[in-house]
Amino acid sequence: MDSFPLLSLIVFLPTIGALVLFFLPRLGPEGTRTIALGTALLTFVASLVMLVGFDRDGSFQYRETVEWLPSLGVSYALGVDGIAAVLVVLTTLVSVIAIGWSWDTVRSRHREFFVAMLLLETGILGVFLALDLFVFYIFWEVMLIPTALLIGIWGGHRRVYASLKFFLYTLFSSLLMLAGIVATYQAYFNETGIRTLNILQLQEGQYGTDLQRWAFAAFLIAFAVKVPIWPFHTWQPDAYQAAPTAAVVMLSAVMSKMGVFGIIRYNLPLFEEGADWWAPTVITLSIVGILYGALVALVQQDLRRLLAFSSLSHMGFATLGLFVFNTQGFEGTIMVMVAHGVNSAALFLLVGILERRAGTSDINAYSGVASRMPAFSGYFALFMFASLGLPGLSAFIGEFLVALGAWEANRWAAVGTFMVVIFSAWYMLWMFQRIIFGRAPGQAPDAHDGELTPEEAEIVRTVTADTHGHGGHGHGGHGALPSPAGSGAYLPGGPVMAREDEGGDRSVPNAATRPESTATGATQPAEMAELPDVSEAYDQDVYSDQRDLAGIGRRWPDVTRKEVLLLAPLAVLTIVIGVYPAPIFDTFGPAVERILATLP
Amino acid sequence: MGLDLNLIAPDLSLAWPQVIVFVTAIVLLFADAFIPRAIHFTTLTAISLVGYIGAAFALFTQHGQNASTFSGAFRADGLTVFLSLTILVAAIATVMISASYLQNGEQVPGPNGELRIANRMPAGEFYVLIAFSVFGSMLVASAGNLIVLYIGIELSALATYVLTAFAKRRLTSVEGAMKYFLLGLFASGILLYGLAWIYGVTGSMDFDQIAFHLSRTGAGDGLGDPALLLGVLLLVVGIGFKMAAVPFHFWTPDAYDGAPTPVTAYMSVVPKAAAFAAAVRLFVQALEPLTDDWAVIWAVLAVITMAFGNIVAIAQRNVKRMLAYSSIAHTGYIMVGLAAYTRGGPIQDQAVSSLLFYLLAYTFMNIGAFAVVTWLQQRGMGMTLDDFNGLASTKPLVAFAMTIFMASLMGIPPLLGFYAKYYVIVAAIDADLLWLAVSVVVASAVSAFFYLRIVAVMYFNQADGAPRAVPTGMLSAGIGVLAVATLLLGLFSSPIIDLADAWSSAQTFLPEAAGR
Repeated sequence: MDSFPLLSLIVFLPTIGALVLFFLPRLGPEGTRTIALGTALLTFVASLVMLVGFDRDGSFQYRETVEWLPSLGVSYALGVDGIAAVLVVLTTLVSVIAIGWSWDTVRSRHREFFVAMLLLETGILGVFLALDLFVFYIFWEVMLIPTALLIGIWGGHRRVYASLKFFLYTLFSSLLMLAGIVATYQAYFNETGIRTLNILQLQEGQYGTDLQRWAFAAFLIAFAVKVPIWPFHTWQPDAYQAAPTAAVVMLSAVMSKMGVFGIIRYNLPLFEEGADWWAPTVITLSIVGILYGALVALVQQDLRRLLAFSSLSHMGFATLGLFVFNTQGFEGTIMVMVAHGVNSAALFLLVGILERRAGTSDINAYSGVASRMPAFSGYFALFMFASLGLPGLSAFIGEFLVALGAWEANRWAAVGTFMVVIFSAWYMLWMFQRIIFGRAPGQAPDAHDGELTPEEAEIVRTVTADTHGHGGHGHGGHGALPSPAGSGAYLPGGPVMAREDEGGDRSVPNAATRPESTATGATQPAEMAELPDVSEAYDQDVYSDQRDLAGIGRRWPDVTRKEVLLLAPLAVLTIVIGVYPAPIFDTFGPAVERILATLP
Repeated sequence: MGLDLNLIAPDLSLAWPQVIVFVTAIVLLFADAFIPRAIHFTTLTAISLVGYIGAAFALFTQHGQNASTFSGAFRADGLTVFLSLTILVAAIATVMISASYLQNGEQVPGPNGELRIANRMPAGEFYVLIAFSVFGSMLVASAGNLIVLYIGIELSALATYVLTAFAKRRLTSVEGAMKYFLLGLFASGILLYGLAWIYGVTGSMDFDQIAFHLSRTGAGDGLGDPALLLGVLLLVVGIGFKMAAVPFHFWTPDAYDGAPTPVTAYMSVVPKAAAFAAAVRLFVQALEPLTDDWAVIWAVLAVITMAFGNIVAIAQRNVKRMLAYSSIAHTGYIMVGLAAYTRGGPIQDQAVSSLLFYLLAYTFMNIGAFAVVTWLQQRGMGMTLDDFNGLASTKPLVAFAMTIFMASLMGIPPLLGFYAKYYVIVAAIDADLLWLAVSVVVASAVSAFFYLRIVAVMYFNQADGAPRAVPTGMLSAGIGVLAVATLLLGLFSSPIIDLADAWSSAQTFLPEAAGR
């Protein structure tokens, strides 16, 4: 096609941005983040242009094909169908939000951070748009190193461990897929005498039963690690807990979708017979994952880990819907992906907002947030309800459709998945209750009176510092409940927070990016099941930074303008998708029908 | 045939690159003696670079050729061109990364903890030895009979033995050189014995004559002939030593660790390339009729080598030793290309192409990795993993280059190493050796452990202090060139693949000769 290479533009705009940053080392934080955000916005606009010009039929559009390595049958081929179109726009939007969030939360090495984020975006977009297995594989692997660096450099709790674990898990599984890719390529060559890696051509091939089964498994494992499907998920809680907020937003909202997308684009059309053979296994694993994720989420003490297991549970719906092989299930899968993308991005942002204020993602460190941050609590409630599948909000549609599809295929599977809705309501509501409601500990009873006078503040400071001393060391900081003593430790947290006008990188103690907290974090035992010693990690900040002590007793600032700017689009989306999902269905519907038609 | 004028009046126009390198070596020898001290170093460096670059350009005269001269002892064909190109690239890179090392030596902690300069090397001898070693390796690549092949291997190796011992005040250097020398001589003896057996069985020195003879007589029962079997096994052992294949690798870690680092960079690539050149010439060209028998041997060796190299590398804290084991592992990957050369149409040609491509890719990334180690050593660091701590915050560009080399050695796309590994895997699956392909995959995954560790300490750890400023212009330029090549050559690898595919001109005469 000779027309304008829009897809290449979308894929490589972030790379260009990254190159600009790389070759202009003296930009400083301001210039760096301006360029990064500008690039992400441009990419988003380009993807919207693509969506507007997209014909809602099942075909691949905007196709570009350039011969690349002819002797191996590799060509640079891009194209977009309805499913990819939806996910591309989701990716570019989430990238804008993640980079926007990083605007003032990155505290060191700005340039490297934004280069890594932009390269990550290129990798993800390339995966969605590639029509050649070789090109696809390159994009698939390209994002490994930026992601590992994002977790390892700017991460929090046990960042190095999480980073390496993520890298090795993903690399190993992808290499298996590489063997599968080459075997498929070879089988097609033996059959037709044509050397090609173009996915549309390879789909025409008839592959032997053995190859179908093992190559399907090789591809599936690579994708299952990314989704993740139980039991390939063990990297996920660690990575989600350690990664900086911007990276975890990308990981949970977009990268997990790449796995499901890979199954849709490669596993199902290439190996129909293999899909048929493996379907019962994948369905079983998905249901186990849905149940397991929900149950384990119940007992998590850490917000990020809770959301990680919740993701495992929700993405189980996505893989379940695929492998029941009917329209409801398939369309439900895509809706689950879209909704989960929006909701998990928002939930992790909300966690990030809390962490900025108190420096921890430990659930027990919080209570009564509602009285301090009412608007925040509103957003939190919205996304919590959206995530647990309240009808009228985004997640409901997808999960309902998947359950319908599962009912058609296997009633017991459907019963299992319906049951989980109860669990997910349980863990989400319980978490919500613990964090948002309850009495804000240590807060003056008449908090609505506004600010304390300096004298009062001084008294409160002395008292709370004392209680903290007893609480923190007397009980070893392991009070299981947010008792006044234990939580007094974080009361001074309020003032540590940055007001927006302070602007800045410097004044915002984000646990995820703060060297001291990572140092303490690294020495802690592997599992967060017992409470991390929040108070110790915390008072290092408070007492090392005297100027913040004056503001004791002030309310935590509610969501700032910037944070609202990031949350509002997601909030609108989650409501609109829940109320009027038809445009999305129109976009990906024909592509779903096309793929289903090829399946037995 | 009558009087062979070829030997008396050889057609030198077929051998321009080799002649240029040889002349360079001689000129260096004299220049070392006669150039005044003030411009001594600069002149010698310039002569080396000009010689190698000129030879690389002269390769164009051999491109597309398929001819022999010196009575068939010297061949100019696709194989010659590609292998010589690899060797010359390695030579140019070596000169670039060793220039500042020759001037300033490395910095080692003295008795009082103060850094002092040590292991300065005499530039003249260094350049001359490199030049002769390069010439020897190129001779192997263009060998047309057993004698030239052996002479080339010996010339290449002898110079490298001396280079290994160049840090003569450091015990490990002498020890490594001693081990390398003794085991290398031993291996040469075995190789020579094997060559003798092959000659004894087939009655000829020329590769094509050997192939012709075997295709008529020996191929019937393959290696059932005990004399032939013995000869082939001796060849495998001898060449296995030279290419550092497990279980013939024992000299490698000590020699690599002891040698001055630029020499390590050189000897991890060029003698290995010469050994693979010998392997291709001997096995693919001369012993072609016995393919079904020897391919299995290489396949098994490849798996052992990959597994051993990667697993032992994990245990290393010393970066040079780690890279030594890593280079053993890469020998295994390259060997897969040899093992995948099994009968069956056009596919087998691609096996050798993948081997050649891997050699070239390995040249860039491995010399690059050693170049970064050199860079650190010139600043008093670089021997252990801890020396890489926080390099990303003090020297981001060097850390970035090292990341590229490590990721490329790991096989992460879109870097050069990925393409190399991809072609090798394709070759293995082409040859129906799925288990071999899976071994490559598993070995690569294992290798990620130790390559990644270097990246992790550079980016995740705190720096102990900024490296001191030492002027190393040429070295930095060399690292930059190698990093950019590793980053970009993969994306534009199509012409390189075509060049590698042209190797098959080396064997086109064979089917005619054998009447197949």
